[in-house]
Amino acid sequence: MSLAATLQELKDSALVRIAQATTLDELEAIRVEAVGRKGVLANAGKEMAKVPKEERAVMGQLLNAVKASIESALDAKTTSFAAAALDARLASEWVDLTLPAPGVKPGALHPVTQVQRYLEEVFTSMGFAVLSGPEVETEFHNFDALNIPPTHPARDMQDTFWLEGGNLLRTHTSPVQVRGMKRLGAPLRMIAPGRVFRNEEVDPSHEHTFYQLEGMMVDREVSIAHMLYFMKTLLKEIFQRDVTVRLRPGYFPFVEPGFELDIQCSICGGAGCAVCKQTGWVELLPCGLVHPNVLRAGGIDPRDWNGFAFGLGLTRLAMMRYGIDDIRLLQSGDLRFLNQFR
Amino acid sequence: MKFSANWIAELVPGLAVTPQELGTLITTKTAECESIEAYAPFLDRVRLVRVMDVQPIEGSKNVYAKIDAGPLGMKNVVCGAPNCRAGILAAWVMPGAVLAGGKAIGKARVSGHESEGMLAAGDEIGVNREHGGILEFTEGAPGDSLKAIAPDHVIEIDNKSLTHRPDLWGHHGIAREVAAITGRELRDPVPAVQWTGAPALKVEIEDYELCPRYSALVFENVTIGPSPLWLQYRLETIGLNPISNIVDVTNFVMAELAQPTHAFDADLLKGDTIFVRKARADERVLALNDEEYSLDEQALVIADAGGAEAIAGVIGGRPTGIHAGTKRVVLESANFLATSIRKTSSRLKVRTDASMRFEKAQDPHNTVRALARCWELFQLVSPGIRMAGGLIDNAAPMKPPPVIRLELDWLNRKIGRVVPQDEVERILRSLEFGVTEPEPGVLTVIVPSWRATKDISIAEDLVEEIGRVIGYASIPPQAPLVPSAPPPPSPEREYQHALRQSIVAQGFTEVYNYSFLSQERAARFGFAPESHIQVLNPIASDQGLMRVSLIPRIVQNIEDNARHMGEFRLFEIGNEVHKQPDELPNEIPHVVAAVYAREGDGQAGLFELKRLAEIMAPAMLVERSNEARVFEHPQRVWNIHWQGELSGRLFELHPTFCEHGRGAILDLDLDALYRLQPPPARYKTLRRFPVSEFDLSVVTTLGEEVGAVQKLIVDSGGNGLLTVEFVRQYIGAPLAEGEKSVSFRLTVGVADHTLSAEEITELRERVIGVLKAAGYQLRM
Repeated sequence: MSLAATLQELKDSALVRIAQATTLDELEAIRVEAVGRKGVLANAGKEMAKVPKEERAVMGQLLNAVKASIESALDAKTTSFAAAALDARLASEWVDLTLPAPGVKPGALHPVTQVQRYLEEVFTSMGFAVLSGPEVETEFHNFDALNIPPTHPARDMQDTFWLEGGNLLRTHTSPVQVRGMKRLGAPLRMIAPGRVFRNEEVDPSHEHTFYQLEGMMVDREVSIAHMLYFMKTLLKEIFQRDVTVRLRPGYFPFVEPGFELDIQCSICGGAGCAVCKQTGWVELLPCGLVHPNVLRAGGIDPRDWNGFAFGLGLTRLAMMRYGIDDIRLLQSGDLRFLNQFR
Repeated sequence: MKFSANWIAELVPGLAVTPQELGTLITTKTAECESIEAYAPFLDRVRLVRVMDVQPIEGSKNVYAKIDAGPLGMKNVVCGAPNCRAGILAAWVMPGAVLAGGKAIGKARVSGHESEGMLAAGDEIGVNREHGGILEFTEGAPGDSLKAIAPDHVIEIDNKSLTHRPDLWGHHGIAREVAAITGRELRDPVPAVQWTGAPALKVEIEDYELCPRYSALVFENVTIGPSPLWLQYRLETIGLNPISNIVDVTNFVMAELAQPTHAFDADLLKGDTIFVRKARADERVLALNDEEYSLDEQALVIADAGGAEAIAGVIGGRPTGIHAGTKRVVLESANFLATSIRKTSSRLKVRTDASMRFEKAQDPHNTVRALARCWELFQLVSPGIRMAGGLIDNAAPMKPPPVIRLELDWLNRKIGRVVPQDEVERILRSLEFGVTEPEPGVLTVIVPSWRATKDISIAEDLVEEIGRVIGYASIPPQAPLVPSAPPPPSPEREYQHALRQSIVAQGFTEVYNYSFLSQERAARFGFAPESHIQVLNPIASDQGLMRVSLIPRIVQNIEDNARHMGEFRLFEIGNEVHKQPDELPNEIPHVVAAVYAREGDGQAGLFELKRLAEIMAPAMLVERSNEARVFEHPQRVWNIHWQGELSGRLFELHPTFCEHGRGAILDLDLDALYRLQPPPARYKTLRRFPVSEFDLSVVTTLGEEVGAVQKLIVDSGGNGLLTVEFVRQYIGAPLAEGEKSVSFRLTVGVADHTLSAEEITELRERVIGVLKAAGYQLRM
C-alpha cells in the first residue's frame, strides 16, 4: 500500500470514529491514537524517509492535510459536545416563577397621602412652597386673622372642637395662610395640606376628621383671571384632562370676592344625575381674592399686594379618584381597604 | 330658604325665564340654589265648580254631588267632606291630575257611584294644611282656574350662601338681583303711606346699640279669621304654616321684605309703653312655641308694665299673642343688633324665621316699609280694620350710607379684564347703588342701606358686585407674569415622605387614625388622663382626649385587623399632642409601625422592626429597657438610640394587649430623627493594601447579649481592626448547659501597608486577651 493510500485510510477511519464518538473521553482517545505524538500519523510520518525525494513535498502536504482535517473534525465534535452539554444544562434549569417571591410584598400609602403627594408635586413645579401649620390652633389664627370676628355667623358654619385652655382644633387649613405670610412675606406662593376637624356626626359622607389643601398666591398684580388660570391648570393636572369649570359667587369671610368653583359632573357630563344633585355641576374648590384684612393680619400691605387663595378637599378628591363611597373607611385602619391602593 | 318663582316674577314684571334658568342665573350670579322643584303642578287640572245637588249615599258618610264645571259641563263626584253642600263654590280636581305624593286622580267608583275626579280639601292641593272639609270660594265662576293659586316652582337657596346678605332673606331682595341680572325693572310692593296722627303708644329703648330702631302701629276693629286662600297658598308654597289673617300677613311681609314683624294683642299688653330692655335675671317668657325660657341680662326683651312679653327678635310671648278674639293689635317692626340676637338664639337653642334674619344684620331703614306693607294687606284680610293713632317710630340717628371710591383701572386689574365704564355704572345702578364720577376714571359709589349693615364697605366688595353680574365666565384665564423661581424647600416634609416610601417598601401599609382617645383607653395604657389636652365638646364621650401617643390606636388597628388576617404590617405617621403651659401644645410627629403574626414566637416581627429602624436610622443602637410600660412585654422592650440620643422604642405587646398571636411595635420620634440625620457621607480613599480576616468564637452564657461581646471586641481591637461582623451563634454539645458560642469575623488592615503575620497575630492576641480578662472562654 502506498503511503498516500495509507494516509487516506487513516483519515477515513479516524473521521468515521470521530463521527461515531459519544463522549469527550472517546474523542480524547481518538486524538491520542490518531494525532498524538506517538499516534498513527506520527508513525506514518516516519515513513516519509522512504518516500522518493521528488514526491516528498507532495506527501508532506498530504500528511499535514490529513492531520488538519482530523484535528478539525475533533474540534468540531468537541464543540458540539460542549454545546450539547450547555443545552442539557439549560434544559434542566427550568424555574417556576409563578411561585411567590420570598420576602414581604410592599405595603400601600394611604390614598389621601397619594393624592396629597401628587398635588404637592404639581404645585412645587409651579413654584409653590409646601407649608405646615399646627393642628391645634389659636382662635386668632383660625378665625380672627381670617376676618371672622367672634360675633360672625360664619363661626356657626363650622362646628368647632374647643380644647381646654381656649385653643381649638383647626376647622380648615386656612390659618396657614396667615402663618405663611408672616413667615415668608410677599411675594408668596404656598400650599398647605393637612388634617382638619369639624364637630360633625360621622356617616358615610361626613367625618369629623378630614384633609384639606390650602393654597395662596400673593403678588403685586393678582386678578380673578390669574386665579382662574391656576385653578384650571390645577384641575387639569388632577383629572388629567381639560375640565369644564364654572365660577360662581361664594361667601367666605377671608376672601373678597369669594367664589365656588364647580366642575362639570363627570358622571353625567352635565346632563344632571344623582351625584351632582341634578345640577350638572359638582362643587369642588372654594376660592377668592384674599381679603385686605387677611393680608394685613399676615403683615402684608394690601395697598401694594394682592392675592388669591383656595381650599381643596383632599379627602373628597381621594374619594373621587378611587371611587370610595364611604368616607369612614379612610380613618378605619382596615387593611382590607387600605391594601387596595398598592 | 325657599323662594316662590311666581312671587319673584310678580316683583320683576315681564320676567321671561323658566324657573330652571332663574335658578341657574341666581346660582351663577348671586347665591347657590340647592334645588328647583315644581310646586303643585297639578293645579293646571283644578277648576272652580259650583255644587248643584247633593244626595246621601246609603251606608256611607260620603255624598254624591252633582257639580257645574261651567264650560266643562256637569259632572258627578263622590265627596266625604261634611261641608259639601249645594250652592258652594269648590275646587274640583279633574281626572288625569296627579297630586303631591303621586296620587293619581281619575274616574273611580266610590261607594257604588262613579266619581269624576274629586272636590279638594286645602291640604290635598297644597293650599294649606286643612283636612276638615273641602275648600270653599267666594269669588269666581264655574270652570275658572283658581285665582292666584297656580302651579309654582320653589327655588331653595342655601342659607350659608346668604350669610352676608340680609336683603336676600326676602323675595324683594332676590327679585332685585334678578332684575339687575336680567336688565329688567324691579317693582316695589311697598305702598306710599302718609302717616298722620299722634302715636297711640310710647316706646322706650334702653340701649340703642342693641335696638337701633323700634317702629310700631296700633290697629283696632280687627277681625281674626283665616287668610284668603291665595295668601295661605303663598305661605304654604315656601314652607310657612298659615295660622290666621293677621299672623299670616306678618309672615308674608317677612318673606317679602326680609323684615320680621310681630303682632301683639294690644288689649293684653299692660300700660301704654313698650320697653325694649335687657332681661332681668331669671325673667321668664312663655313663648309662642309653648316653651318657657328663663332669661338673663344678656337677652333683650320687649316688655310692658307687667314684664317681658317677647324675646326681642327671636320669639313672641304666648300670653300677648294673637288669638281668635283679638280686637286690637300692636304691630312691631323693629331692628336689633345682629350679634345680640345670634347669641340669645343660640344660647336658648331657639332659631326662628325672625332670628335667622335679624342675625344677618337687617337694614334699620326697612322697619317702616314693612309696616306700610302690613297695613295695606291688613285692610285686605281684615275688612274694617282701622289704624289707632299714627306711626310710632323710636330710632337712633341713622348712619349715613357708606361712600366708596372706586378706581376703574384698579377694578379692571382686580378682575383681570376691562369692564367698560358705562357697564360698571349700569350694574351698580341696577343694584341701586348711587354712582357719580368726581374725576375721570374714578367713581364715587354710595351703598344702599340694605347692603350697608355688614355686606359692603370697601372697594373689594364692589369688585364682587361687578364681577358676578358681568359673569365670571366672561373673564378669560390668564397666567400671571411673575419671576420663575424654585419655591422655598420644606425639607422636614420631604424627609417624612421619603420615610413613608421606605416603610411601604418594607411591606407596611399606611393607616390614618383619629387624634382622639377616650379616658378609659388612655388609662388602660397607663397614660395619665390629666396629661392629655381635653376636648371640651367631644363628638362622643370616647373621643374626649387628644392623643399623647399613637400607640393606643395602633393597638386597636392590630386588634381589628387580626380578626381578618393572620399576619400583617401597618404604620402611621401622625402627631402626638403634648400640653405646654400658656402656649400652643407641642405637636411631635411620630412614626409607629407594627408587625402582627398569629403564629410564631414573635422574634421575626421584632427583627423586622429592627430592620425598619435601621433603614430609618442607620447604625442605631438598641438598648434593653428595664422599665416596661403596662402594654410592653417585660422581656422584649428596647430603647432606640441614634447618634447618642434616645429616639424611640421597640417592643412586643404584652400578651394582655394582644391575646391571640404576637404584635410588635416600633415608635420613633420623627423630630429627633430629622434633627439627628448625619451629614452627607464623606468619601474615603479606597484601600490600596489588602486586608485580612479571621474568626473568633466566644463562649458565653445564654443571657449575655451578643452586642456586648461585639462591643468589647470593637473597643479592644485598636487601629488595625476595621470591622467586626457577627457570623453565627451555636448552642449545644460540646458546650455546657446554659452556654452559647458566638462567632465573629474580624477584618483587619491598615492604610499604608499590608499587615504582616506578626502584626495580625499581635492584634488577635490583644483582642483575645481582653476577652479572657473579661471572663470569656474562646473556642479554637
